[in-house]
This record gives sequence, C-alpha cells and structure tokens, in this order.
Amino acid sequence: MEAKNLEKLENEMYVCIRCAYCFEECPVIRERGWDTDGARGKVMLSYGLMTGDLEATQEVADRLFQCTTCGDCMERCPSNVTVVDIIAAARADLVKAGFSSETHERVIQNVKDTGNIYGDTEGGIEGKEGDTPLFVGCQYQSRPNKTKKFIKILEKLGIDATISDEVCCGFPMEILGFVDDFDEHKERFKAAFPHGEAITMCPTCTVFLREGHDIEARHLLQAILEVLPQGDLGMKVTYHDPCDFSRGLKIIDEPREIIKRLGCELIEMESNKDGSACCGGGGGILMSDQELSDDISLYRIRQAVATGAEVLVTTCSTCETVLKKAAKTVAELGEDTITVRNIEDLIWKALK
Amino acid sequence: MDVDIERLRSIVGDENVSDRAFDLYVYSSDASVHQAKPDVVVRPGTTEEVQDIVRYANEKKIPIVPRGAGSGMSGHTVPIDGGIVLDMKRMDRIMDIKPEDVLVRVEAGVVNDDLNKALKPFGVFFPPTPSSGNICTIGGMIGTNASGNRAVKYGATRDSIMGMKVVMANGEALDLGSNTIVESAGYQLHRLIVGSEGTLGIVTEATLRLAPLPKFRMIGVVNFDRLEDAGNAISAIAASGVKPSMLELMDHVAIKAVNTALDMGLPDVEAIVMFECNGMAKDEVDRDMERVQEIFKEHNGSGIEVSDDPKEMARIYAGRKKLFPSLSRYKEGLVSTSLADDMAVPISQIAATIQKIHEIAENNGIIMSAYGHAGSGLIHTKILIDPSQQSQWDASAKAVDEVYKFIREVGGTTSGEHGIALSKAPAWKEEKADQLETMRAIKKALDPNNILNPHKLQDAPDDWVTATDLRYKVRG
Repeated sequence: MEAKNLEKLENEMYVCIRCAYCFEECPVIRERGWDTDGARGKVMLSYGLMTGDLEATQEVADRLFQCTTCGDCMERCPSNVTVVDIIAAARADLVKAGFSSETHERVIQNVKDTGNIYGDTEGGIEGKEGDTPLFVGCQYQSRPNKTKKFIKILEKLGIDATISDEVCCGFPMEILGFVDDFDEHKERFKAAFPHGEAITMCPTCTVFLREGHDIEARHLLQAILEVLPQGDLGMKVTYHDPCDFSRGLKIIDEPREIIKRLGCELIEMESNKDGSACCGGGGGILMSDQELSDDISLYRIRQAVATGAEVLVTTCSTCETVLKKAAKTVAELGEDTITVRNIEDLIWKALK
Repeated sequence: MDVDIERLRSIVGDENVSDRAFDLYVYSSDASVHQAKPDVVVRPGTTEEVQDIVRYANEKKIPIVPRGAGSGMSGHTVPIDGGIVLDMKRMDRIMDIKPEDVLVRVEAGVVNDDLNKALKPFGVFFPPTPSSGNICTIGGMIGTNASGNRAVKYGATRDSIMGMKVVMANGEALDLGSNTIVESAGYQLHRLIVGSEGTLGIVTEATLRLAPLPKFRMIGVVNFDRLEDAGNAISAIAASGVKPSMLELMDHVAIKAVNTALDMGLPDVEAIVMFECNGMAKDEVDRDMERVQEIFKEHNGSGIEVSDDPKEMARIYAGRKKLFPSLSRYKEGLVSTSLADDMAVPISQIAATIQKIHEIAENNGIIMSAYGHAGSGLIHTKILIDPSQQSQWDASAKAVDEVYKFIREVGGTTSGEHGIALSKAPAWKEEKADQLETMRAIKKALDPNNILNPHKLQDAPDDWVTATDLRYKVRG
C-alpha cells in the first residue's frame, strides 16, 4: 500500500512514546477492550502500514475506522500527538488502496451529487440576504423545522442572517479518507459560500470552516450569548459537551452561561468539559459500526441519568440524535432515563 | 510456535483470544524501544482461567507474558520468545474495601486512579503515585515495584502490599502474605513477587495497604543558580526530619526544553525544585513548608513561591507537567527514548550524577535531560536521538554504559521505579553480579520450564540494542 499521507506524519508517529495515557477515557478501548482499539493501538497500526510491517487488509481498515475522532486521546497525551490527524491520514491511504466502507462511500457520493451528506435535495433552508453570513451545514439543512426555529431565535435577538445556497463543508471527505475528493469539493464550496467570515450552527462545521477553508467562523451560541436576556425556565439540566465544541473550539463556558441565563440549574456529569465522554456519533462510526456507536452512547446517557437532572442538553445535532436513541434504549431496558434536547429548544422555550 | 488456539478459546471464550496479525503487531511493543511479536493474545477474566492457561503453557513449554497497560519503558511485556501475551485488563474488580482495616482487595487489572476514585469516599488512598496512574494497573505496579513523585513520603508499591494471589508456573494459585499490618518470620514470598516482572508467577489479586487522604496540601517552587546547591539542599531536607510529600528537580536542559517548546518563561537557572508538603492538620503542613523553605534559602535557593490555592498550585507545577511534551518536541526529527531512564542514587550524589550525565551526553553527541523525584534520589533522563541513524543508537548505547558505570561507582542502582526487563538488564546484571546465580536458582525452582516472561532480568541478553528488533526503522 502506498502511504503518502502517513509518510507526512512519520515524525508525529515517532513523537508518540506509546505510554498509553490515551487509554484513560478512549470510548473505543473502554467498550471493546483490546489495546488495538485505543489511540496508541491505532497510531501503531498506522505506523505499521507506513513501514510495510503490517499488511493493509479490510480488517485493519475496519479497526482504523472504529474511532469517533472525539479527540479525548489528544487531551490526555503527554506529548500532544495529533492522533486524529494520524488516523485521518491512515484512512486516506487505506481508501486510496481500496479499503473503505460502503456506507461511507454512499455519504461521499451524496455530497458529490447533492452537496448534502444525506443526499437531500428538497426541504432545505431558503436563501436570504441579511447582515451576517450564516453557514447552516448538512445536519441542519436536513432538519428544516429545527433550523427555522434557530433562525427565528436569531431574528428575535436582532441577528439578521444571510443564508446562501451552500454545500457541505467537506469535513466527511477529510475524516473518512476521501481527501482527493475534498480537493475538488473545496472549489465548489468556495463558489457556493464566498464569505470570509460566518456564524455557524454545527460545532464540526465551525472547526472545519476555520481549518479547511480559512473562514473566520464563530458558532452562533457565542453570538446569542451576547444578547440573550435572563430567563426563568427553572429546569434542572445537565450538559453534554460535543467534542468539537469543548476540545476543538475550546467553547466550554458559553453553553453553561446560556443554560444559567435561561434560568436553569446545571448539574455536571462525571466527565465533562474538555474531558467529556464521547456521545458515540462521530468519526463515521455512526454509519459504519452502529453497534459500537450504540455502546458508547449508552455509557454517556447513563452518566447523564446519574446526575438526577430532568433534561440532558447538548449543542450538536449528531450528539442529540445518538443520545436520544440511547435514552430510549435505557428506558426499554427498564433503567431510569432522561429527556434529551438541543439547546435551541430551551432558548426557544425561554424566549416564547 | 505451535499454540493450540482452540484450547485457549475453550478456556476464555472466542472473543478473548486473538491471533490476528494486527493484534499481534500492537501487542509486540510497549513504551520501550523493543519489539517482538507474540503468537497469541489472551484476555482472561478469572484466576481459574489464568490457572488453566498457565497449566497448558507449562505442559507445552510455551512462554507466557502478563501485560497490564503495556506502559513499561524497558520491554517488560515484549514477548522476546513469542508465545502467549496475557492481557490482564479484564480482571478489574475492586473486590473488598475495608476502611476499618485500612486495606483493599483488588484484581490485578484494576487501574491505579480508578482504585483511588473508589477509595476517596472512605477518606483513604493507595499511596504509590506513578505518573501513569491514570492507566497503569495494580498488576503492572507490583511487577515493577512502581513508585512515583510521592515515594519520598510514602515509599514504593512494595511498602503498600500486604498479600496477593499468584498463579505459579505449575498452575497452582497461592495466597501469599496476610491481612495484618505486621507479619513475623518466614520467606514472605509476596515481597519476592513484587518487582519480579512476571518472571516468578502471575499476580491475579492483591491486598493493598491504604493511607488516610491528607486534608491539607501546599506546593512551592525554588530556583538555584548552581545545581550543586540544589543537590545539597535536597540532602539537607532528607536529613532534617521533615517529610515533604514531593521534591521534584528539573535540570537546565529540562528547563530549556520547556522554554523552547512552550515558551513558558521559566528562569534561566541550573535547577528548579518543586516541593509539596501534605498532612491532616494545617499547622503541621505550614510548619513543614516553612522549614523546607528555610533549608532552601540556607543553600542559596531564590525566587521561592508557595501556595495552597488549587489554581496557583497548578500554575507552579505546570513547568514540570509540561516537561514531557517539551522533550518529545525538543527538535524536529529527534525522538524521546526511555533509556537509562530511572536510576536512583544516594541523595548526596544527585548533583554530581546530573553533572556527569551532561558530560557523558556531550561527549557522545546526544542530548540528555535530567529531572525526577529528587527527594527519593531518583533521576529520570530522556535520551533524544534520531532513531533512523544507527550511529545515534551506538552513541546512546555507549552513553548508557557510561552513565550506569558512574551510578554503580557512587553506590546507586540501575532502576528506581520503572524496572529492568531488557533495556536495563546489561547494567543491572553488572550491578547485581554476585546475586545472579541465586536469582537464577530461584527462577529455576519456581519456573523449571522457563515459561514465565522468559529472558528478562537476570536472563536477558547482554546487548539491549540487539535483544529484540527496535520498534523504529533504522535506515543508515
């Protein structure tokens, strides 16, 4: 197998001293238990693929795709190894060599065909002119009711958004190993969203607009916090930090401020902030390994239930989706459960 | 090697046995420079399963290597002769917390920090505090007699082990030690097992002695223009009767590494010492901190800062905490290797040893930093090399030899807390030359077929560089 992407990160793989500190909260090794499942194991597999000591097979590829890219390992790593970059490079080389999952291929084809990861061509958000460019993102384009609510919240708070006929930011191409496709997609994105700055709805898009497109992106909760009045919801809530928020963007305090501003009592889960446990929805496993995704999300929902809060609030629609499913599963298992809401639901309720 | 995979599956279940190429590759190395593949990885869940596996291995003379987190730095879990790697992490039950007896019974795969989290509500803790406490297992700590930055006050793992269940090479499970604080005569075999690196038996359970959680804690930092003054101050503290809970030293290479990599602005001095005192009463902690500061001042320490505020304590300790990533990123192309990484010397020899380490590094054209738990005489080094160059390995091997020669001359020991295994075996065998045959006789008596982590410690190869493949690609 050619390992052109991994070769660029050879030194980074050497920086990994294989101490295993990344095991501490890695959701995959916690659920599956083999050293191969942890971040160190994946860095080793990547190194073996690069040197040729390890033959590229579908099984090796499957292991490298069994990662939510939540980045907890990078928070724990004493050498600050960019583990997710290494895993993404390994995936890129494996995809180039013909090892990918059918579900991932379908997502990428959807983006190519429709500009949206779900292949949705109807029901998106209509374009409009305003003062501030808003990047909606695939998740919210495909949940128009939710998104319209968010846009109304912005209007109520005096933020007039410009909405473009946008296409996917391209992050799935980058993280699922379709990097050549991203090179082509980048121009298409730029033509559809020709702004140098934007407010965004999805934490992952926020990170990728900054890193992949050099756009000065700011999540809309940051904008909302500046103008949100005091509410009196009086609910007892716990908050799940999406990985791209707390670890990617270091947005930790703002959602908590908003929750308190809405008049809610916040109870933290056992793991929180930049040490938050993963929801199980990222890195492509939601599509390629549903069982693993479910196991990871059950762990997180049980942490939420243990707080005794009425509602679990999050700020990412993927986290919301998988945690809602997990909440339903624990209820079906006869365990205590919890209501899961995206933060805009609470803001909407408070502003009404 | 001919290993009956089906038989192993019948013992622990299909899902807990792997001979898949990618698993064998991952289990072929740890945090050391070594690499050697096992034939199979097995994950037992009970002592009985370990017994069945060991009986089978003993019957067929198949090597068996127990492994916890695989965070060892000298090749403890690298299966030099292939065979079975026994991943013990499934055995992670905290079985019996007995605060009234100040002890706890755990399985070998329990992680140190998980244990302390479970003990916290009872107001007690397991005192050894290795930096790898977030992931290292009790079994691994017993295997290496691990300690950490609070060993200066609480001792090493051996000081907190009361008993254990051990599966011997014939498959028999022995209950060693007792549940009592004192135990009189007899061979006290549990103490022999501690530090034996899986070569005499496989620990499946342990009874650990606990300590009360200190209620008060203060941290401080002091700078020294001369390394010798820092060494003398640490000696004076050791002789003073004050028992700090931490005394950490960073040398000027370590300071430069932190400043270069992270621009932390640490003072440009020969040594920085971080210190901590803890206890159950505030006045006791205040008194100890005052006395420690007096001693530092008497030895020309300057720029002293102390605090009991959690944020300030974190800021003061940040330099030491950031040292690890700084060394890993000291210079593009250089990697941080764990060689000669944890020698211990009599406390009076700390400054001289660090000076000697710098001299040896310079003479051999490599970069070595020195830092560590100075209060217990323990010095960590990292050797920064380009691992693709054979000449760098040759220079490292020569430097390692010279460092250990000096350590022996000043009455020190090869490893203070990480263990011997492969990388340190040549030096350790010189240090313990008069005892090797006794050790081999013990090994032979307890493991006549030499199946338990063979060719480690006294039986390890004489050249660590060629003992196994190196896990780096050496090109020229």
